[in-house]
Amino acid sequence: MKPLSVRISGFGGQGIILTAIVLGTASVKKGNLYAVQTQSYGSEARGGECQSELIISDKLINSPTTKYKDILICLFQSALDKYLSTLKKTGILIVDPKLVTEIPSIDANIYKVPATETAIKIGNRIAANMVILGFLQKLIKVVSEDNLREIISSMVPKKFIDINLKAFNAGVSFAKDLDITKEDIE
Amino acid sequence: MDKNLKHKSNRVNSGIHFMLGNYAVVEGALAVGCNYFAGYPITPANEISELMSKRLPEVGGIFVQGEDELFSIYSIIGASLAGAKVMTATASAGFNYMQEGIGYASAVEAPCVIVDVQRCRGENFATQADVMQMRWGASGDYESIVLAPSTAQELFDFTILAFNLAEEFRNPVIVMSETTIALMRERVKIPEKESIEIYKRMYTSLTPEEYLPFKAKNNSPPEFAPIGEGYHNLYTLNYHNEDGTIDWDAQGYKKLYQRITGKIRENKDKICKTELCFLDDADVAIIAYGSEVRPALDAIEMARNDGIKIGMLKLITVWPIHENLIKDIAKNVGRIFAVEMNIGKYAREIERICLPFCPVSHITKNEGIIHTKEEIYKAIKEDLS
Repeated sequence: MKPLSVRISGFGGQGIILTAIVLGTASVKKGNLYAVQTQSYGSEARGGECQSELIISDKLINSPTTKYKDILICLFQSALDKYLSTLKKTGILIVDPKLVTEIPSIDANIYKVPATETAIKIGNRIAANMVILGFLQKLIKVVSEDNLREIISSMVPKKFIDINLKAFNAGVSFAKDLDITKEDIE
Repeated sequence: MDKNLKHKSNRVNSGIHFMLGNYAVVEGALAVGCNYFAGYPITPANEISELMSKRLPEVGGIFVQGEDELFSIYSIIGASLAGAKVMTATASAGFNYMQEGIGYASAVEAPCVIVDVQRCRGENFATQADVMQMRWGASGDYESIVLAPSTAQELFDFTILAFNLAEEFRNPVIVMSETTIALMRERVKIPEKESIEIYKRMYTSLTPEEYLPFKAKNNSPPEFAPIGEGYHNLYTLNYHNEDGTIDWDAQGYKKLYQRITGKIRENKDKICKTELCFLDDADVAIIAYGSEVRPALDAIEMARNDGIKIGMLKLITVWPIHENLIKDIAKNVGRIFAVEMNIGKYAREIERICLPFCPVSHITKNEGIIHTKEEIYKAIKEDLS
């Protein structure tokens, strides 16, 4: 496989870093792949800028970050403004349309995933990250849905497992409706 | 201390993990038998103390949060001299404070492991700016052993190596961590318990009446007798006789420090570890250590795709410096590139060794972030054109 780089960005409290860790853990432990996850965030517990980068590959990963990402996920307008220039021209942009309203005209494929709205419907807005993860899984398919469900269940607090899995499933359904395939990334 | 506590979990967390670099240090220390840790909070080293405070008591060890860095370093030295396998972890600003203790540990030959997660002055950004402090930070004569991991896996592996070297040579050993790798999650494979090599400190077979704490062969550490078991152990920073008493004797002083430094200097070939990458046919070579090895490897791939025959010497042991090997490489290539993340410090050391044989170019970056492969390759290309 070609190394895949993903940046997830938004603000603290959205589960940005957890999303990257879940995908990284599943890739390494279930997919027998290599993964490198880095992050940066403000000192605030909630509300500060937050981003995490994840590289997944079937070979040892040297440079821990890449100049341009294959996939950019923005869960806040300021995150898009800041990081859009780090997306490959032919890359994929995923946004939450409720939180990112102004998208400049670009060549990249854009997917609007109503993650926050869906999570609120399911019962808790903090599960929006799992909607995104479900959608992302269908897009990149480096690990199976079940692998991710297993890792999610092992990493989130017990009382939130159910809601997180529901949100994840909703994300998978969105992607299925769009009928997207991995080839879109190249 | 092991016997009296219930062991609730395994020392060796065998398996494949997606693990934070700082946690890999803890797992390495536990796997090799660390049973005493003292530390004072500081970013970006906190996750080491955090996991230690949870894991160490579970396996029968002792975790202490010190009131400062001085407590932490002296407390691990004391525990070490009582026979424990000890570690502390800090970051650059805290590492400053520990220098006095490192000098003391060198003088009394206390095995201990110190992890310095380097950060920019006062800020949580990446740097390799402490590379000289790790070698020369304390007063007086001593030799440092410093290991530079570049991945989470190496943070695990080299922490084990650090303990083994500390125990074998009875010297402080520093694990040179960095913000970049400490706060990165990566694949880490922890082997089965049986395959982890553990060096056991050489204990004396003499009786308390016969034993002298600083009597040793040339270029070797003395045999060990733990504090609290009837032996007369006096451990002082000052010049000490073989029985540990303070004295001044010019020839004795000279001899003591010849041995304390000689046990490292004369065993360099055994201590120094490196990796040779693509050097067989190389016309030019990079010398790098720590996280900078990673973009350098990618830059080599870019350069080789463009027909530039370039290789790399990756330093696992930064101190003592592997002089002979560096000299040999300098004799065989047309140019050396010293890649590091500071204002250009180790580069001077490389120059000292290489300049009679080939020119040395500095590729340094001091912006709180690791080089990109493009930056390194661009610098190489500009220099060669």
